[in-house]
Amino acid sequence: DQVLHIVPETFQQVQHLQLLCSTLLLDLWKPLLPESIRAGEDLHIRVPATLEQEVKDSLHQHMISYRVLIPDVQKLVDQSMPRERSSHRQVSGGYVYTEYHPMEEIYEWMTQIQKNNSELVTQRFLGKTLENRPMYYLRISQPSNKPKKIIWMDCGIHAREWISPAFCQWFVKEILQNYKSDPKISRFLQNLDLYVLPVLNIDGYIYSWRKDRLWRKNRSPYKNGTCYGTDLNRNFNSSWGSVGVSFNCSSDVFCGSGPESEPETRAVAQFIKSKKSDILCYLTIHSYGQLILTPYGSTTKPPSNTEELMQVAKEAAAALTGKYGTSYRVGSTALILYSNSGSSRDWVHTIGIPLSYTFELRDTGTHGFILPANQIQPTCEETM
Amino acid sequence: ELPPSHFPARRAAAVAVGYLRYLRGGPGRRLELRALRRARRQDIDDVGHKYYLELELEDVLDKGRTVNCTAEVLYHLGSKSTAPDVQVTVQGELRSTEEADKEFYNRIRSLEKELVAENIPDSHGNVPPALEPIHLLAWAASGYVIWQNSTENTQFHLAQVKHVKQVKRSDEDLQFDYVLLLHEMVSQEVIPWELTVLWHPQSGARVSWDRRQPGHA
Repeated sequence: DQVLHIVPETFQQVQHLQLLCSTLLLDLWKPLLPESIRAGEDLHIRVPATLEQEVKDSLHQHMISYRVLIPDVQKLVDQSMPRERSSHRQVSGGYVYTEYHPMEEIYEWMTQIQKNNSELVTQRFLGKTLENRPMYYLRISQPSNKPKKIIWMDCGIHAREWISPAFCQWFVKEILQNYKSDPKISRFLQNLDLYVLPVLNIDGYIYSWRKDRLWRKNRSPYKNGTCYGTDLNRNFNSSWGSVGVSFNCSSDVFCGSGPESEPETRAVAQFIKSKKSDILCYLTIHSYGQLILTPYGSTTKPPSNTEELMQVAKEAAAALTGKYGTSYRVGSTALILYSNSGSSRDWVHTIGIPLSYTFELRDTGTHGFILPANQIQPTCEETM
Repeated sequence: ELPPSHFPARRAAAVAVGYLRYLRGGPGRRLELRALRRARRQDIDDVGHKYYLELELEDVLDKGRTVNCTAEVLYHLGSKSTAPDVQVTVQGELRSTEEADKEFYNRIRSLEKELVAENIPDSHGNVPPALEPIHLLAWAASGYVIWQNSTENTQFHLAQVKHVKQVKRSDEDLQFDYVLLLHEMVSQEVIPWELTVLWHPQSGARVSWDRRQPGHA
């Protein structure tokens, strides 16, 4: 398709052009309507490739001169496509962020991310899973001579919540793609380091790909290997075992044989403990429910800094809704959702980290855990 | 008066929506809860807890048109085996699904081999368009199971259609035997549930048999 630029000289030419546009239903870019065509004024028409010859012949016949303004409309459209396409290649060589990825690909992605952004990103070892797989987190830090506080975010503590690791990957991509051009992100990185653990429950995640899409827990064997899995988000040392749990291994909220009984829990807890004076904010990403949850789950008694926690959460929810209108509820787990103990978010708060939140991403039950991949982008964009 | 964002009201709303889906849902209609506007609870001595709800639903296939409803959900005291009593009043008319229903009915009746499918949606959330009505029918039927089995301490959602098999009948009804996976939010369990659903354009969906599958998912 081409766009032609014409300046009609006479009234007759105007009439002919009006007839041509109406008969062939040509797409007028300027002016918008045939009746607005005037002699001496610019006229821009988009001519579909199939009609190009016919239109040009007609213009020749009536001695109407023209110039080709845009020789190939499609090419222009392709060039102005969303940044993601080309910047994917920059950031990590063509990784598709709008699809769900198996663990092998997420491991490769982490390596690539560090390789392509080595001035900012280091991949660090956190510990090993029950099935002996390495747990890595990405440290995003702008070199500086001043010490920086840390924001920690982990995804994928529950295997079936696939949108969660997808969000962590998206988040990393967005930061790395835009830290130079986006003043908000650039200021952020001047003052804060970001630590992102894309998949906490690696064994469980792999199991949900290979065997059972709706698996939740890790893959710890109990009862002589007749029963598997601890709910890692009931396994932390915050009122462990008191409420909203089961001591039966076959339950999906089995809290393990004791607080921090699971290697994945220990790996995260040990690290956070070691950095606790530097961590400003702890975020743990789940699905589904569209909620921003504050401490606590084990009691309705509000935490000491409840006003601050709620205010920040409310602002976050408002910003999120502002993007696509997705509504999020905000409040403590015990009031909004149910009672539970041993959650990572509660434990982090009890050891002194002031801002600690659980995000439950889309949706509210329509698709639940099996959120279609075409919702990855809007979910991530609004959460960002 | 209850805060609509807290779980007691939300759980009652899920029961009301399940009930309504069963009554009015089908292969051509998808009703979703958009908002819970208001909720009140009344404790009735020797009877149970009654919730009064103002709901905003959307008729997804009717361009997401808003449907306002009021509902009453009565959870019976102490009883774990009696279903809650539910009443729902829909304000206005729902768009007719007559055409889509007829099309679906004729299509299934004309199949040579009985329809069989599994994992709807698949792991990535995809549903082949031809199976979407089967999916919607499962949603409607799951409403029955959710209504019948809910208490103030549960909140059910349909997680996935594990398996569906059509059974040809000599009468006018279509029959589908489903295995549904229901997610119960409080225990976080995924519970397989077998049901037989009968459907006819004029009579809607009926669950003629259902059973919680023994054992763990």
